[in-house]
Amino acid sequence: MANEIAIEELRAFAQRIGLTLPDDELQRLLPGVIRAQKQAAELRALLSNSDEPAGIFIASKKNQR
Amino acid sequence: MENELCYLSITEAAAALSKKTVSSVELTETCLRRIEAVDGQLHSFITLTADHALAQARQADQELRSGKGRGALHGIPIALKDLYMTKGIRTTCHSAVLENWLPDRDATAAMNLTAAGTVLLGKLGMHEFAFGGPSVDAPFPAVRNPWNTAHIPGGSSSGSGAALAAGLCYGALGSDTGGSIRTPASHCGVVGIKPTYGRVSRYGVIPLSWSLDHVGPMARSVEDCALLLQAIAGHDPRDPACADVAVPDFRGTLKDGIQGLRIGVPRTGWFDENLGVAPETEAAFNEAVKILESLGAAIVELDGTPFSVTRKANQTILVCEAYAYHEKTYQETPLKFGASVRRRMLEGAFLSAVDYITAQRARSVLNERICANFARVDVFAVPGAPRPPEAFATMDPNEQNLRPSFTNPFNLTGLPALCFPCGFTEGNLPSGLQIVAPPFEEVTCFRVGYAYEQATDWHQRRPAL
Repeated sequence: MANEIAIEELRAFAQRIGLTLPDDELQRLLPGVIRAQKQAAELRALLSNSDEPAGIFIASKKNQR
Repeated sequence: MENELCYLSITEAAAALSKKTVSSVELTETCLRRIEAVDGQLHSFITLTADHALAQARQADQELRSGKGRGALHGIPIALKDLYMTKGIRTTCHSAVLENWLPDRDATAAMNLTAAGTVLLGKLGMHEFAFGGPSVDAPFPAVRNPWNTAHIPGGSSSGSGAALAAGLCYGALGSDTGGSIRTPASHCGVVGIKPTYGRVSRYGVIPLSWSLDHVGPMARSVEDCALLLQAIAGHDPRDPACADVAVPDFRGTLKDGIQGLRIGVPRTGWFDENLGVAPETEAAFNEAVKILESLGAAIVELDGTPFSVTRKANQTILVCEAYAYHEKTYQETPLKFGASVRRRMLEGAFLSAVDYITAQRARSVLNERICANFARVDVFAVPGAPRPPEAFATMDPNEQNLRPSFTNPFNLTGLPALCFPCGFTEGNLPSGLQIVAPPFEEVTCFRVGYAYEQATDWHQRRPAL
């Protein structure tokens, strides 16, 4: 599992996706981002290579948007 | 008399309209007077459409008088969570972002209710964009619980739950992405169903998370909920996720009883997760299960582990899809969002594409594991919420992550889930019971809920306002 994201990385990441967030907002955001990333990482343990995502594109299905 | 009228069930009100012992105008005026009298304490309505409602009521009365009745909902006053688009009527999502927005069309579900002859009283408060917690920094006040206004009503369909419990309308629509119909139903002592994913069109309903969003009705009885679902269920090509499946008569098997029905309780590995279920909530749940058993059901203990894991996938998908939807608005006007929505939504901005796809893959795996239980049982029974409604003053937004989520799994799996009252705490706050059925078997949820309702009187209790 990757290391927890630090505040400097969060700031850089935010800038990269076009967000300029003040330091206090970044501080308040950090615990939630760490929790969200940890949760997402824990899901990997459930999966094998044969598991496909729930939402898949079916070429023959109409109105697929 | 006034209280008796405003707490009629839809079925009772429809019978009275049919016998002409009451008119739709009288029902509508009763609701409007009640709103005027008590909603200052509750803030369940954001927008009241009194003139519009009275015009619809007059039309309903005229049609009913001339034998042009449209069914059991004709002339019944209802209200909509404020994320259903309503043509020319302000739709705010309880947010400064859409504070004065007038949509140019109606949501399909709203349109279907109008076609059934309902009377629209107004638009109901909610958690901002159906996200986060009670909105304390939104342009509209947070909705309060009619059973004790110092407590939260649950959300995000908070106005729908509060208005029904307070007798301000006869039916309402909510929406549910992680429990937003069932939590306020549980906390306010009313009934709500999150139908199967795809059962009801989401067209014209402002999304929170496309692949988890469900829309559904709330009411004061199971039968009323079935009546409302009947009016809004069905295929709509304008919603790509809406299923082209037959719509059954949701009241058809309501009175068939539950003799021999196998009810699974996925307790082990779930109910004791972190802080676990609050003791009062678990006691009410256990008592409700005993009642179902006494009505002829067989209770089967199940492994709750796969249910417990769903929260991680649900939350990952939810925050990613929510940020994707709101990204442009957020980048242009971030401060128009309340602080709690802003922070939660941004969690999605910092997850990767692989995180999102992993969660959608986990969804397939968990869905298979959870639905495999339907080989052994007909429905699942779980509490509607892990604890009684918290007080605003002591509410800890992080605590919800430390309790089991009894609602998330059924957004991830899309299974139909009905929540109805099953008890009260010592402090007179409601508890709910949830019944979950296989896909498109809402009728089974209704059958269990109705049988339970006939054996108890929790749904007939009213808050002192």
